Amino acid sequence: MHPLNWVIVVGWLTYVVTHGLRRSKGTKGIDGYFLANRSLPWWAVGLSVMATQLSAVTMIGTTGQGATDGMRFIQFYFGLPIAMVILGVTLVPFLHGARVYTAYEYLERRFDAKTRSLTAFLFLISRAMSCGTIIAAPAVVFSAIFGWPVAWSVALIGVPAVLYTMVGGVQAVTWVDVKQMYLIVGALLAVVITLIVQIPVSPGEALHIAGAAGRLKVFDFSFSLTNTYTFWSGLIGGTFLMLSYFGTDQSQVQRYLAAKSVDEARTSLLISAYWKIPLQALVLLVGVLVFVFYQFQRPPLLFNPAHERRVRAMEPSVYGALEARYAAGLTVRDTAARMVAAADDRGDAPGALAAMTTLKASDDSVSVVRTEALALAQRVTGQPSKDVNYIIPRFVLDYLPIGLAGVFIAAVIAAAMNAISGELNSLSTTTVIDFYRRWIRSEAPDEHFLRVSRAATGLWGVFACVVATYAVNLGSLIEVVNRFGSFFYGSILGVFLLAMISRARASGAFIGLLVGMAAVGAVNFGAPSVSFLWHNVIGAVTVLVVGLLVSTFSPAPASDRLV
Amino acid sequence: MSEANPDGGRRFRRTLVSVMAVQVVTLVVLWLLQRRYTP
Repeated sequence: MHPLNWVIVVGWLTYVVTHGLRRSKGTKGIDGYFLANRSLPWWAVGLSVMATQLSAVTMIGTTGQGATDGMRFIQFYFGLPIAMVILGVTLVPFLHGARVYTAYEYLERRFDAKTRSLTAFLFLISRAMSCGTIIAAPAVVFSAIFGWPVAWSVALIGVPAVLYTMVGGVQAVTWVDVKQMYLIVGALLAVVITLIVQIPVSPGEALHIAGAAGRLKVFDFSFSLTNTYTFWSGLIGGTFLMLSYFGTDQSQVQRYLAAKSVDEARTSLLISAYWKIPLQALVLLVGVLVFVFYQFQRPPLLFNPAHERRVRAMEPSVYGALEARYAAGLTVRDTAARMVAAADDRGDAPGALAAMTTLKASDDSVSVVRTEALALAQRVTGQPSKDVNYIIPRFVLDYLPIGLAGVFIAAVIAAAMNAISGELNSLSTTTVIDFYRRWIRSEAPDEHFLRVSRAATGLWGVFACVVATYAVNLGSLIEVVNRFGSFFYGSILGVFLLAMISRARASGAFIGLLVGMAAVGAVNFGAPSVSFLWHNVIGAVTVLVVGLLVSTFSPAPASDRLV
Repeated sequence: MSEANPDGGRRFRRTLVSVMAVQVVTLVVLWLLQRRYTP
């Protein structure tokens, strides 16, 4: 990468760390460290929640998905605005009004200590591994592209984030998130503008080409339990997923607990939903435009340069044959794309339709060759091929002007830091409030808890970086952990829903939680083709039904109350 | 539990209307894109 790009990356990281450390000056005591003394304005909380969602996986993975699969992934987020409204009028007033540090602390007040401890424990395990995965995804890509050891990439992303999060707490996290959002959105817009300039056809013709290859098919109204990207799975399953995530996951709950008031907490959630779907559309559009760009520029058969080198060295004749077929397919596709553009330009609708059919067929042929190449790469390297994650970084480094490439790389790092900083802060909060202060040392000066909180942040940061460094070797283990996370998200939502029903008892909540997770596990192993988006619905409904049933037959303890 | 004040409630409702309006407009734009450019 050109030195100017590195100057931009290093300069931005230095600014961000300095800004974060400066924001830590007001952090005194755990109220300041975890909840910013409940002083954050709604717009900052809203932008911070949005920033946490826009991770590096979105910047490089979702853009890549836009290039290979098109816009239909956006259906995944259709439930988000609905979930935010529901949370704003139900759970947020409860949690903010309860003056708790963590969502799980509220569960002990409502039910009992074991329900609190189990839900907090499940959060710690899944969020800690997720933190490592969020660092690993861009780190592995950077190491393949720049030829570094993975540990260097992990350090580049992890060390600044851990530093300002450890010192500054949620104040630093939130205000750095706000600044980084401007960089990320600016970088995305700049890439779109660059693509529009570099693609040798008009924007309208470019969209025709994308549409012909199925990249602009957004809505799928079929009802299928096995297809993740449909309107209904996004609307129903997605609503439950977002209710779980924003209502019960401490990494999100902690943000709006830090708002000045209940009204600002509710408004901040809505603001985070404001631009979610449009922003995701922008992210996917970047990928779609890169797809169109590569109709006129020869793309590599494998975008991962490390895999390409290995395959070329180990299977030169097989790879050479695939490259020859790929080049022939690309020539046909290139011609078809130009025919679509020309027919569109002269207003020849039948001609355009015929050219679109040819384009779709040639694109499918090219995809077949790519699939064979990806399978070859997986066989030769022994690693799962995640080539889709390399499409955008390769495009950025090969074709973006000097300077703009640095801005995009800085934005990818910023996105990763945004995601992990909030998670580290929430991991520390749950560790200290739900375990250390609850079970080990309940009375101590505030300065003691602040020191322990900073240490916990640092330790979780080190843990996440270690997981990220060995992520390639842990591959399947991380997948197991992520699937494990899908077992309980919906079930924990069910527990919080039970908490709002006055006749639900502590025994019902605990047993319901266990049965809910077992039900999701049974579906996951017994019917693996069912999309994971439905797991949250299954978990939440099972917990509600079983929880209320068990509660019916349980005696009412004197201390059960809503708040 | 802290009570929402009337001004805050009005801001929440105003924000709710504008958020849902942005989502509807975005969905309509995406629908039109699909209709116009997908054969």
